Amino acid sequence: MQRFRDFAFDWIAWAIFAAIPAVIFWQSATSLAEQDAASGGPMENAALYPRIVASIMAVLAAALALRLVLGRVQQRSPLEARAGTRPALVATGVFTIYLIVLPYAGFHLATPVLCFLLFWLLGIGPVAALAGGIGLSLATAFVFEGLLNVVLPVGAFNIALFS
Amino acid sequence: MFDLLREGLPLFLVPQALVLTMLGIVAGLVIGVLPGLGPLMGIVLMLPIAFHLPPIAAMGMLIAIYIGGSAGGSISAILLRIPGTPLAAATLCDGFPMAQKGRAQDAVGLAVAASAIGGLVGGLILLFFSPLLAKFALRFAPPEYFAMALLGILTIAIVSEGSALKGLLAGALGLTLAMVGTDEFTNAYRFTFGNFKLSSGPHIVAVVVGLFALSEMFFQIEAAGFLARPNVQRLRISFRALRLLGHHKFNLARSALIGTFFGAIPGAGGDVSAFISYATAKKLAHPNEKYGEGAEGGVVATEAANNGTCGGALIPTLTLGIPGDASTAVLMGALILLGFFPGPELFRYHPEIVGGIFVAYLMGNVILLVVGILLVPLFAEVLRVPKAWLIPAVLLFSTLGTYALQSSTFDLWVMLTFGVVGYVMRRAGFPLAPLIIGMILGGVLESNFRRSLLISRDGPMIFIERPISAAIITIDVILLIVIVVSTIRSSRKRGSVRTEEEPAR
Repeated sequence: MQRFRDFAFDWIAWAIFAAIPAVIFWQSATSLAEQDAASGGPMENAALYPRIVASIMAVLAAALALRLVLGRVQQRSPLEARAGTRPALVATGVFTIYLIVLPYAGFHLATPVLCFLLFWLLGIGPVAALAGGIGLSLATAFVFEGLLNVVLPVGAFNIALFS
Repeated sequence: MFDLLREGLPLFLVPQALVLTMLGIVAGLVIGVLPGLGPLMGIVLMLPIAFHLPPIAAMGMLIAIYIGGSAGGSISAILLRIPGTPLAAATLCDGFPMAQKGRAQDAVGLAVAASAIGGLVGGLILLFFSPLLAKFALRFAPPEYFAMALLGILTIAIVSEGSALKGLLAGALGLTLAMVGTDEFTNAYRFTFGNFKLSSGPHIVAVVVGLFALSEMFFQIEAAGFLARPNVQRLRISFRALRLLGHHKFNLARSALIGTFFGAIPGAGGDVSAFISYATAKKLAHPNEKYGEGAEGGVVATEAANNGTCGGALIPTLTLGIPGDASTAVLMGALILLGFFPGPELFRYHPEIVGGIFVAYLMGNVILLVVGILLVPLFAEVLRVPKAWLIPAVLLFSTLGTYALQSSTFDLWVMLTFGVVGYVMRRAGFPLAPLIIGMILGGVLESNFRRSLLISRDGPMIFIERPISAAIITIDVILLIVIVVSTIRSSRKRGSVRTEEEPAR
């Protein structure tokens, strides 16, 4: 258990890498086979190359697992909090909520709130954070909406300022 | 060589391309100055904007950021003893002592001027060698392209930070991401899980922004110190450095050549070339120069080398489609998304684009020399801006840039997902550069692999029946042996706690 804790991030990364070959073989046997693209010559077989990459990846993941089990990884990666881990997690949560809300609230409503919350979270006073949030939101919207003609999410209220 | 320049010059000499190259240099310097960011982050942030521009204006801007960012890291190394980028790590050996002796002005001026001239030397070599290499590469057929793409992935895996095993895994993840979407031969949907938004695969820019920019913002917040304002010496505009540089002509030329040489080797990178160049300059210097105690030659050697690397790294990128590092991988990705695939065919069918890129690179370095020195006071001021203002701005810019690619919130979710993946990978000591290079080269690797098998009468033997392919495959095998041996050797060492976070690479 101690070894798992010492190399926690390595194990999380390993889980991602180990899952990928499994998904490739599974999809080759199901989805690609159903599309009649998992057998035949090099032109007809869309699963040939993915299976080779998946096999190599499985071998590499097994080698990494062995090194982790034996504790033979040069640097440990414990799941330890740092000085700013809590605000970093909060910022990630705020950003995730922003992505959920964005299509409904629209860019011009959701973004000043996001920027204000981030500035405030990072220690800027509420008034400066509010001014900064609105200013940053407007400035970036001007560049993308006004200059680059990007249609930013208008949301349920159909708000577009610079286009 | 001159034909290329003649073809490319008119495309570059338009106000939009000129202004954007100049802005790219300024943006690159500012991003390079800020510790934790760097040329790669600058290119990543501006990549989405580049797609709204004509090809040479877009590439001029991105290459200018690459050049400016490579030079900018020296300023914080000299003033704060914190290299803005890993490229400038060797610069602080003499740059910071120079600043402590009250010569910060000279050190920064020398760093900027040496960077620009080193970059120009790299550009001239790029200009001379690229057409020759591209001409040779015209003999390449699918087996050779397959072997070269494999070489690119293996090299970057072996020289990236961390273990080669982790580098290979990251590269394999990149290859996997490149498979997602519609198979070009059968039109079958691969690994899309019924989601039509994945029918072209995850957008590479969303992946790159997530991996590098988002994970970096998380690291920056984790490091705390949001409102800290470093005490930075005030600087003024001075061209005295150009006169000082005249005392280091041989050092400058040698270092630029070392940088270009190492840049042309995929994976070697600017930080390696800067340290080798510094060590060479120190070894050949007169003892009175006192390297390590504020020698001008030390700053010249490292900065000329790390910007010479930029020109060198563009040689395999443009001629063979094999990027030398993560920055050139993203530049190559930008060129592909603009509709031009790097390689000998680019030189044959689009000489104006190659020429335009060469002119942009050379002019970028000339602009760096002038603008870099004129704006030195501004860059010193940038260092005083607290992180609390920068992080949300970078995050919002990344978000909007990614959204603007296809006006799709789906890309934002891809970005966030890869932000988390990038953070976990970096905490676990996985290099990110092989992932990006794997993703960019994945399509080349697969299509040429399948085409080779199709034209072969002996199955996989085609890869060793053709002399050029056999030679490259031999190098691939040697590299694999090196990776296996180094992995076994490093397995004998026990773990140690990681104390300092490496910037994303």
